[in-house]
Amino acid sequence: MAVERVFDHLRAIATGAKYLFLKPRLTLMYPDEVEDLPRGYRGMITYNHETCISCSLCAMVCPADAIKMYLPKEVPEGEKRPKRYPGINYTRCIFCGFCVSICPTFSLQHSTIHDVSFYTFEEQIFRPEEFAKGPPKPQYDKEPVKVRVIPDEERGLRYERV
Amino acid sequence: MMDLLDLILQPWIFIPLIFPGLTTAFLVLLGIIWAERKIAAKVQMRYGPLYVLKPLGGAIQMIADLLRYLFAEPIIPKDVDKLTFIFAPLILFGLSYLPTIVLPAGPGFTAISSEMSLLILLGLLTLSPVFTMILAWGSNNKFSLIGGLREGYLVTTYEIPLFLSALSMAVLYGTLDITAMVEAQKNVWGIFLNPLAAIVFLVLILISTSKFPFEIAEAESEIVMGPFTEYSGIFYGLVMGASYLKLYVLSLLYALIFLGGWYPLPSFLQNPPFLAGIMVFVKGLVIMFIAIFMRAIYPRYRIDQAIQIGWHKLVPLAILSIFLSLLVVYLGGV
Repeated sequence: MAVERVFDHLRAIATGAKYLFLKPRLTLMYPDEVEDLPRGYRGMITYNHETCISCSLCAMVCPADAIKMYLPKEVPEGEKRPKRYPGINYTRCIFCGFCVSICPTFSLQHSTIHDVSFYTFEEQIFRPEEFAKGPPKPQYDKEPVKVRVIPDEERGLRYERV
Repeated sequence: MMDLLDLILQPWIFIPLIFPGLTTAFLVLLGIIWAERKIAAKVQMRYGPLYVLKPLGGAIQMIADLLRYLFAEPIIPKDVDKLTFIFAPLILFGLSYLPTIVLPAGPGFTAISSEMSLLILLGLLTLSPVFTMILAWGSNNKFSLIGGLREGYLVTTYEIPLFLSALSMAVLYGTLDITAMVEAQKNVWGIFLNPLAAIVFLVLILISTSKFPFEIAEAESEIVMGPFTEYSGIFYGLVMGASYLKLYVLSLLYALIFLGGWYPLPSFLQNPPFLAGIMVFVKGLVIMFIAIFMRAIYPRYRIDQAIQIGWHKLVPLAILSIFLSLLVVYLGGV
């Protein structure tokens, strides 16, 4: 009984020592290596202002109230009832993709961009004009290597250059 | 210039100041925390600190951390007892490396040459936990108080078997002088003569320096940082470094009384004692490596489990190790 416990301790230490000298490391060296994202990845949302019909279904379906309908900043003269267009608040967005699914004209689409940082709270609220310009591009010091993640029986995860 | 060099190479200056005293202790402190993070990271399939001097794997990460500790504002909360809050970390840090003065760095190269040097070292080791408890009390914080009480429980747990297992080696060698204890291991190391005391002492190093699986006083996931919760800036650096310094002292002691000190170095290389000192230091580093490697393997024991291990297992084993020493002495000794 007590002897078994001693062997349990030795086995634990041996396992630790094995991992100390073997070479499985699961770290993705992020700014130097970037994961090649699969199709259907739900990243930040692109918006096509030209095809938008201002139906406000996206604002209706949004479970986090991230998308709201905004009046244009400068209402054209003579327009009595200006159309409202969607803007997005990324502090609220949960990237569920309901707005993309419900959009009747496919004006909202997912991009693969997800690694963007902001300095202020207000910068994360995109009015329709900025929303139409697309999500901001992530800034890298040098061009990152794109890698694909492959599950591996022995190592857990492997990264393969695309 | 040569006079100054001669002065520094005098043992009563060299030992407290260079090795195994302040300078080496400080460098070990910087190295061992980095090594702990790297080893834990490697076992957990991560990289650990990497981006501070990337070609060497983040080797100067701790210098960056030290600068951060030095320049961060040490916040002194309003309700603490200011005198103990400020002075307890300083005394704790000082007392943690004070025992190095009785450690010999080579044959005959001692700052304090005493027939009782092992007892002096063990006595000095008992002083620092008192200040851990004092600063925990002075912090006026519930996490600190709980951590300090846990430290107090652990002191009652580890000190008796620590002393018994160290003194069993004194029984074996028939002396309390650490230098003479090393000389007695000229042919066979103490770890082979009394493996029981060696194992008990190694476990007690883990308990007394609060390393995993006995990192109970500081338990980060339960009580923030235990006795050191309220500390910040350089004071936090001091209280955190104190347990590593204690580990350093105990590892060197382990190398001296169990791993043969500067043996198997042949006697013509022992004078001047530089190679002997390096030998002791390398053996101490191996023990430190084992102690910090445990972080990657073990979870944390509960306080009652740790006390149970101390009183039910380690105290009887330490007493048994004294009888084992007596048996070895009866069978012919060293």
